[in-house]
This record gives sequence, C-alpha cells and structure tokens, in this order.
Amino acid sequence: MALNVITADNLNFKYEESTEGIYDVSFNVEEGSVVLLTGNSGSGKSTLLKCLNGLIPFVTDGELSGDLLFTGDKYSELKMHKLNKSIGSVFQNPRSQFFTDNTTAEIVFPLENYGYSKAEMVKRIDELKEEFGLSELLDRDIYTLSSGERQMIALACSVSMKQKVLLFDEPSANLDYGNAMKLGKIIQKLKEEGYSIIVADHRFYYLNGIIDKVLFMDHGKLKVCDSEEEFKNGAYDTRSFDIFKLDIPFAHSEIKSEVVAKLENVSYKNILHDINLKLNKGEIAVLVGNNGAGKTTLAKAMCESIKPESGKVDIKDVPFFIMQDPDYQLFGTSVINELSLVKDDIKEIKECLDYLGLLPYRHKHPFALSGGQKQRLQIAMAMLCDRDVIIFDEPTSGLDIYSMKSVSEEILKLKEKAGILVISHDYEFIRHIADRIVYLEDGKIAEDFYLDENTLSKLNHIFIKMQEDRCNEKNQD
Amino acid sequence: MKALKINPIVIILINIIAPTMYIFISGRYLQIYLVSFATCLLVLMGRFKRILALWIVYALMFFGYYFSINVEGLKFVGLFLIVLVQAVPCLALASILITKYNSAQLLSSLETLHVPRILVVAVTITLKYIPTFKREFGYILESMRLRGIKFTWKRPIKSFQYFIVPQLFRCAALAEEVTAAGLVKGIDAPVKRTSFYEEKVTALDISILTVFAVGLIGGFIWR
Repeated sequence: MALNVITADNLNFKYEESTEGIYDVSFNVEEGSVVLLTGNSGSGKSTLLKCLNGLIPFVTDGELSGDLLFTGDKYSELKMHKLNKSIGSVFQNPRSQFFTDNTTAEIVFPLENYGYSKAEMVKRIDELKEEFGLSELLDRDIYTLSSGERQMIALACSVSMKQKVLLFDEPSANLDYGNAMKLGKIIQKLKEEGYSIIVADHRFYYLNGIIDKVLFMDHGKLKVCDSEEEFKNGAYDTRSFDIFKLDIPFAHSEIKSEVVAKLENVSYKNILHDINLKLNKGEIAVLVGNNGAGKTTLAKAMCESIKPESGKVDIKDVPFFIMQDPDYQLFGTSVINELSLVKDDIKEIKECLDYLGLLPYRHKHPFALSGGQKQRLQIAMAMLCDRDVIIFDEPTSGLDIYSMKSVSEEILKLKEKAGILVISHDYEFIRHIADRIVYLEDGKIAEDFYLDENTLSKLNHIFIKMQEDRCNEKNQD
Repeated sequence: MKALKINPIVIILINIIAPTMYIFISGRYLQIYLVSFATCLLVLMGRFKRILALWIVYALMFFGYYFSINVEGLKFVGLFLIVLVQAVPCLALASILITKYNSAQLLSSLETLHVPRILVVAVTITLKYIPTFKREFGYILESMRLRGIKFTWKRPIKSFQYFIVPQLFRCAALAEEVTAAGLVKGIDAPVKRTSFYEEKVTALDISILTVFAVGLIGGFIWR
C-alpha cells in the first residue's frame, strides 16, 4: 500500500472574527497521487491549502484543532522551514508569488535560504533547465515574462529542493487554454516521476484522466471522492471536465447595424499587423488567442492607451474598460460614491445595485467587498456609464460555475446598450455569451465569425490549435 | 570604457555614512564633495543618464532655493529645498541599487553586514517595492483616465486620495503575499544563508571606500 504523505483527521479551522473556516475535514493523500481540491468560491479551498503549507497557523490567525500529519509527523511539531523543504507551493497570483525580480535569483532563492553551496545550486539549475525547458527563461526580469512563462518559473522554484509534494492554488486562473493543457501534461509527468500533487482549482479540464482523488469542499465541509469517475458521476454542479461536450444554447441574437468602433489597417510595433475590425452595437465579440497574440494590445489601441503606428481607430468615446484586477479601478469612498463618479443619478444607481444584489453593501468601502462583489461593482459601473463600447479583460478567471453564470447574464444584459468586446480564455464562459468570435494569432485576425451550431466546430478547432501550438513550443525547448 | 562592477554593499555603506556626516562636517563642503563623489562613481559605473538627472535635479533645486529665499512668504520653500537638496547625491546612488542589482544580490550583500535576517529582508523588500510602486502607479493613472476621473488642483485632497487609496490597499495585499512567498521558500530557515551571486568585497570596493573616507576626513580638516 502506498504511503500517506498527508493525513488530516477531524481538522477544523475558524478565522478570527468570522464564522468562515473549515470543519471536520478528514482525508489522506497517498504518495505519487494527483488530488483535485475543488468547490465554489468561499468554500474553504484556500484555507485548507494554507493549512497544508503551514501558513495557517504561522501567518493567519484563528482557531486550529484536529490532527494534520506530514509523513507521520504532526504539523504542529514541524517548523515552517522544515515543512517547506518537503512541500513546494505554486500560488495563484502571477505577480506576488515571487520574492525576487529575476528568474535565476528566484529559482536559487530557496536553495540559498537552506544553505546550499554554489556548486549544488549550479547543478540544480542545470537539472531544472533540462526538465522544464527553461533555457530561454533564465536570468530574465520576471515582470517581462508572459503568464505561462511565469508559471514555469513558479513550478521550477517549487521543486528546486526536490520537494516531493506540490501544492497548486488555482494554477489555471491566469493561463490561456494552451498553457493550462500544457500544465496538465506537466502534472501528469510529475505524477509519473512519483510526485504527490494537490491542485486547488475551479477549472479542472486540464486534469481530465489523471486525478486519483477529489476533495470537494462545500461550505467548509469536505466530501471525498476516491476516484475521478466517482466525482464525475456525483453530478456536482461544477465546471466541466470535457468542455467541448457542453450543451449550451447559442447567445447569437439579432445585431443592430450601428457600428460603434472601427479599426482600419491598424498596426503596432511587432504586435499588431493590419487589424480590421468593426464592432456593432448589441453584439458581444470575444477576442480569443494565446497569451502574447496581441489581444490586450488591440484593446489598448481601442482605448487610445497606445497610438497605432499606422491605420486608424474610429471610436466616438473612450471605451469603458473593465480590468481583470478590480483593485486598480476602485476610487470611491463607498459603493454609492464609486458609482456616482460614473453617473450622478441616485435613483438609477440604487436600481442597478438592487439588480446586482449589492444594495445591502451600498455604504461599504469598495475595498471591503469580496472579490466577486468588487467585480459586480465594476459591472455596475459599466451599466451606468453612457459609453458605446465596453471592454472586459478576462472577467471570469478564478470564478466558480455560479459566479461565471451570473457574470454571463450581466454581460448579456449590457449588450442591449453597447457593443461589447470580451478578452477571454474561458471556453465555458465564451459559449455562454459569444455572438461572435475574433481569433487573433500572432497579431493578425486569423478568424472572425458569428458563433452558431454551424461554426461551433471552428471555435473548437481554434482551441485545439492553441493547445497544439503550446505543446509544440515545449518540444522545441 | 568598461563599466565597473561595484559591490552593492559599498553603495549601501556610503548611503548610511554620508547623511550622518552632516552632523559633523560643514554642510557646504559635504554637498560639493558628495556631488563630485557621486558623479565620479556614476562615471565609473557607466551610468551617464543618471549623472545628467542628478545634475539637472540638483541645479533646479538650487535655482528654486535662490529664487524663493529672497521672496518674503516663500522663504520656507527655499529652506525646505536646501534641506532636500542634500539628499540628492545619495538618492542618485541609491537609485542604482534598485535598477542595477536584483533582490538576491542585495540580500546577499546585506547579509555580509551581519545584521539580523529580519532587517535584511525588510530592507530588500522596501528597496524592491519602489519599482513595483511605480508600475502600480502607472496602472492606477491609466485606470483613472479610462474611468474619466481627472486630477484637479481645485480639489487637491480628493484628487490625491484617488492616487493613494488604491495604492495603499495594493500595498497591504502585496505585503501579505510577499511574506507568504518568502516563508514557503524557507526564509526562516535557521541556517547560514549562502549566495548564488557571492558578492565578494574586492580591492576596487575597498579603494572606493578609502577614497570616500579620505574625502570625509578632508571635511574635518577644512573646518
């Protein structure tokens, strides 16, 4: 029988000044297995993960009880540095999971902390370079890397001391489809090499077929499924394993012929080449393409954040741009004040808050809201603004099925008054909202079509192609 | 000329020693000395743009001082500037710490000072937060433009609040995340930290510090 690397028995944790936490959690993780930890937002996934890497109770205060063992030793008797010599962590946030700003420095950082010699570090870097194909990524500024490249560095760091247990916190949240599938292949390879892996994520299509156990968190309680099949048959309302088999009605509706934004032969540096795009009122156009294809640059050109080197952007007013990270976009002192900066009409503001379920929070400071509430506040701003074009940048990264569906409904409502451009990697979400697909490849529009039953195969083909492109990259390394 | 590689510890030491010398040495001597010294050091490091910036900022602040010191009611601005200008050469050198060396190099060289690990980590994070601050500030400005919120001098406090509040919240979140990132990578391991970059103190570093010390001794004699 395989050794249990992690055993939890009746584990409880309650945050200070809050009723949230995890209750009666019991499970074990066998050596060399892949465990999916899933559940909706706020169900306690991150809390459990923090217990497993020792940040609870070391950094986060609260009441912890029950038993948690790592290869038979009690967590409470293990120091943080001892634990993390055996457990590697990959966090969600692409920016702040790094302690330094240089890729090589980051990989050797744990080795330095644990007093490895220079010769050992050089040897380990060579090994990691070989294993993860890092030759092009060493000694680079971390901030200049793409999200997929950053993920590779985070992964290399987490195994730099040959840790045999890996914890991933929402690794797919900031990855495009191709990179997520690539990550799935890497996890499979690590599993074959004997690593024990715990992945906490809402989306898990990239782990299809390689999961040994599923831990499903529901309001702080845990349900354990001992196989992938058992979880699949359990009819939990979650994101899908096989996204291409989804049966969702098409959003495509009648488009008004009023053009709200027009890009004519737009080129910018080596990023955009000869882009021609017309956006109509009443339509939702989804911009798809791998990271680095130029999607954000195209949106920036529409917002006049950058000036195209050639070509013309014809747009009446600056579009309303909804950023992926709401923290950069909130300036008000309360929810009502935030919206009054957009439109000073208290009646309309209240109606809008009521529609989005934010009315009870109207006097709260925007930064005191949860992530999902902040996003709804952004949508409220978009609803109130009188602009013809609204742009969303990855609105569903890190959202569970419920939040994703409600964001979809809200965006569908927005199209009544504006033309909407959405940048997204999220296939399920795209299927819910898209009237039209614009596929950007290497800075050029490779495909531009309305999505219906006849063109669905085209969309699927694009996603498969994006995955192949990423996997071929790896072979070249 | 090939740019010289100087151990960051030299710059850190100069930045610690130079400001404290204002207590002992004539301010005018020290100012002239520090500007000349910083200029020479930046030439050796091949940072010519930085020299230009140093001189322009220095000249502008002095111009501001001479202009305002003679105007009744603006004297306080002049006095304020003359205090600030003293920090300019040190800041020019300190900025090199942020742009030229990565966090790991700074950590390693600070460790050679044998100060507690917690202080080393705090100083490194603070220094490296400056470029992050700049980047985040850029995002916030761009976001204000897209939201149509303009900075206006008519309501300076309100406008200032737009810049600062999001930045403070980001800062708090980043602090927590960076702490977690450090901890899961063994920053608390009670072993002697090694260094991949091994910033050894070279003869060049010693010579620079010697020249710096001689200049300061000159200040005592000059008085």
